[in-house]
Amino acid sequence: MGSEVHGMAQRGGSVISHFKVGQYESPLVLTGSADLLIAFDQGEGIRNLHFLRPGAKAILNLHDPAALENVHLKKYATGRGLEISGIPGYRILSEKMNGRFLFMNVLMLGAMCGIGAGNVSIDEIRAAVGTLAPEKHRADNLKAVELGYEYFRGN
Amino acid sequence: MGNKVILLGNEAIARGIVEAGCEVASAYPGTPSSEILPAVARFADELGTRTAVEWAVNEKVAFEVAATASFTGKRTCAIMKQVGLNVAADPLMSVAHFDLAGGFLIVSADDPGPHSSQTEQDSRYFAMFAKVPCFDPASAQEAKDMVFDAFDLSEKYHMPVMLRPAVRVDHCRQDVELGTVKDLGRKADFKKDIRRWVCLPAHVRINHPQLNAKLDSVREDFETLYGRYNFEVPAKGRAALGVIAGGVSFSIVMDLLKAWNREDISVLKIGTPHPLPVKMVEDFIARHENVLVLEETYPVIEMQLPDRTRLKGRWNGFVPRAGELLPEVIRELILKALGETLPEEDSSELKAAIEELKVTPKPPMLCPGCPHRASFFAMRKALPNGIYPSDIGCYTLGVNQRDVDTTIDMGASLTSASGFYLAYRTDGKDQPVVATIGDSTFFHMGILGLVNAVYNRHAFVLAILDNRITAMTGGQSNPSIGDKLRKGDEGRQVDIEGVVRGCGVSFVKVVEPYDTKDSAEVFKEAWEHAKNNREPAVVILRHPCMLLRQKQATVKVRVNPEKCIGCKYCTNFFNCPGLPFDEAAGKAKIDERFCVQCGVCIQVCPHGAIEAVEGEEE
Repeated sequence: MGSEVHGMAQRGGSVISHFKVGQYESPLVLTGSADLLIAFDQGEGIRNLHFLRPGAKAILNLHDPAALENVHLKKYATGRGLEISGIPGYRILSEKMNGRFLFMNVLMLGAMCGIGAGNVSIDEIRAAVGTLAPEKHRADNLKAVELGYEYFRGN
Repeated sequence: MGNKVILLGNEAIARGIVEAGCEVASAYPGTPSSEILPAVARFADELGTRTAVEWAVNEKVAFEVAATASFTGKRTCAIMKQVGLNVAADPLMSVAHFDLAGGFLIVSADDPGPHSSQTEQDSRYFAMFAKVPCFDPASAQEAKDMVFDAFDLSEKYHMPVMLRPAVRVDHCRQDVELGTVKDLGRKADFKKDIRRWVCLPAHVRINHPQLNAKLDSVREDFETLYGRYNFEVPAKGRAALGVIAGGVSFSIVMDLLKAWNREDISVLKIGTPHPLPVKMVEDFIARHENVLVLEETYPVIEMQLPDRTRLKGRWNGFVPRAGELLPEVIRELILKALGETLPEEDSSELKAAIEELKVTPKPPMLCPGCPHRASFFAMRKALPNGIYPSDIGCYTLGVNQRDVDTTIDMGASLTSASGFYLAYRTDGKDQPVVATIGDSTFFHMGILGLVNAVYNRHAFVLAILDNRITAMTGGQSNPSIGDKLRKGDEGRQVDIEGVVRGCGVSFVKVVEPYDTKDSAEVFKEAWEHAKNNREPAVVILRHPCMLLRQKQATVKVRVNPEKCIGCKYCTNFFNCPGLPFDEAAGKAKIDERFCVQCGVCIQVCPHGAIEAVEGEEE
C-alpha cells in the first residue's frame, strides 16, 4: 500500500511517498516505525529520519557528502542504531550517464539493494525494471540500476 | 469474483464509475481529484463502454452537463475537488431539489492539510447544506464499492448523491478488486415535465418538503442497510475509550490499535456521514463514558448530534479545529483521551544536526526553465510599481519572485485588477495593475471578469500565461489545446486571441516570454494603451510548459565570479532552482542538477555576470 503526493506540493517542493507492505488499513507510515528511507535529496532525507524505527536503514542521494560526518547526526544514528548510507548519485550520473538525472530513481533502487535493504534482491529489481521500463529506455534504466548497486558492491 | 490489481484510489473510483454503467462523466481537474477522469476514459476504452468522458471548462459546467444528462434516465457523474464544488454550488443547491431520473453521482475530493488548495473545507458539510446524501470512504476498495451504492441510492430516491474521498484515499495505492461492466441498456429518454425540471418557486415549495422526506428515508436506510460502511469494532471487555471515526481516520485508528496490540478501545466506523445514522451513533455514545470523534475536516458528524456535550472532538477543540489528522496526531489524541502519555523520544541530536546542516524544508517553486518565471520577470521590469493580482495555477508560485500580490480563487486575477483599478481611480490616480492568469484558468472563470472590465472600462493589463496545458494538476487538456480523453474522440481548439478580441479588447499581443526584453516592451506598451484608452489591454505570453518536454534550444550558462557582486537580484526576482545563491561564496551559482539551460537568466543579471558558455550552444 502506498501514499503519494500530487499537485502544487509536487512543484519542486518536498515530496514524500509512504509504502507499506502487508496487512494494513491505512496508507501512511507512523513516525518511528519505517524500516527503510530512500531519499533522493540528502536534506529531505535528514529532515525525515524521524520516520525510521530503531535499527532501520537509510540510503541518501548525496550532493554534499560531508553532511554525513556531522557529529550530531552520527550521535542520533548511533543512539537509535540507524544505518545511514550515502551515494553521490548526481556525480555518478554526470560521469557515467551524461548527466541524465531522470535515472536517479532506478539508481536509488540499485543502491537500496547495494546496502542490502528493502528485502528485495537485485535480480528481482533487475527483472522489475526490465519489465516496467519502456523499450526505448530499458538499457539505460538497467544501467542506472547497476551503477547504484555497484557503488556499494564493487565489480 | 474479479481479479485484484493495485490501483490509485482515484483509479479505483474511476473503475467503479465505469463498472456501474455511468454513461456521461464530466470534470474539471483539481488536486486531489485530477486522476479520476483520465482513468474513467482509460477503463471505458479498455472495457469498450460508450461513456462520454470530458474535461469541462469549469466545475459548474461539469456539474450541469452531467446532472442534465441524468434527466434522460442515464447514470452520470460530475467530478471535482472541494473548492471546485464552490464553483458548482449554484447547481448543487438547485438540483438537490429535483426528482431525478437516472443516477447522478457527485465526486468531490477533499484536501485536509491542505496540500494543494486554498482552503481545507469539508465537502460533507456542503452535502449537509444542500441536503444530499454523502459517502465517505476509508480506503480505495471502499471508495470503489461506494460508487455502486451511491448510484443505487441516487436512483432509489431520485436525488444526487455525493462521494467524498479525502486526499489520502485519492492518492493511496491499494489492491482493488476488478469487476465487469453493469450493462444497464438504457436509452436517453427525456420525459418533459415542467414541475420536475424547471426550478420555479412554486415547484420548490413542493420539492423542498419532498427533499426533506427523502433525506429522512435515507437516514433510516443508513441506520439499517449499510452495515458494510457503518459498523462497530468492539473492545474486548469494558472499553476504556470509544472512538467514532470516518474516512481514512478509521483506517489509521485500526492500524494503531493493531500495532499497539490493544483491545480495550472500541471503534464505530461511519461511512455515511450525511445524513448521519443518529440512532446508531447515540447508542454507541450511550455505551461509552469516554468518546473521541475523529473526522476530517469539520465536525460534521458531531454537528448532526442533538447532544454532543460529552464528546471529545473538533467541536470543543479536543481535536484540533484545523489540519489533517495524521497518524501522529491521532496517536496523541487517543492517548490524551485515555489520560496516557507517550514515552518522550530524545530527538535533540537530530534537531541539532538539522540546524547545523541548515536543512530547511523545500518550498514549492516554478520548475527550471518555466516560461512563467520569465513572464513575471518581464512584467516587473516593465512596471516595477505595479500591483500584481494573480490566480490559481502553477504561477501562484510567482510569489517567490514577489510578483504575486493577491490570489483569491479561480479567475480573481481579473476581478481583483478591476477592484484595484476602481479603488485607485476614485482618488484620481493611474495605478499600474497587471493581472496574471493561465490558459486553463482563463477559460475556467477569467472570461467573465474580462467582459466585466471591458464593459465598465477598467484600465489594467491582463497577462495570459499560455503554456498550452493545465500544468499544476498534472497536464490535463483544456480548450486552448483541444484534445479529448477517449480514444478516437476529437475536440476543437478554442483560440484565446479570438476570445479576447470577441470580448471587445482592442490591444492583444502575443509574445515569447523567454525574450524578456521584448515582453517588457510589450507590457509597457500595453499599460500605456490601457491607461490612455481606459480599457483592459491583453498580453499573451506563449511558451509550452517544461513538463511537456518539448525540444528547445539550450544555452549552457555560468556565473562569472568576477562580475557577480552578490546583490541577490537574480534570486529575489528570478528565483530559479538552477540558480541558487552560494552563501559561503557570497555569489550566485549554477546548480547543474537542476539547470535546464534555457538561458533566460543571462538577461536577468543587471551586472552581466551570467554568461553563456561559449562553444556549448546547441
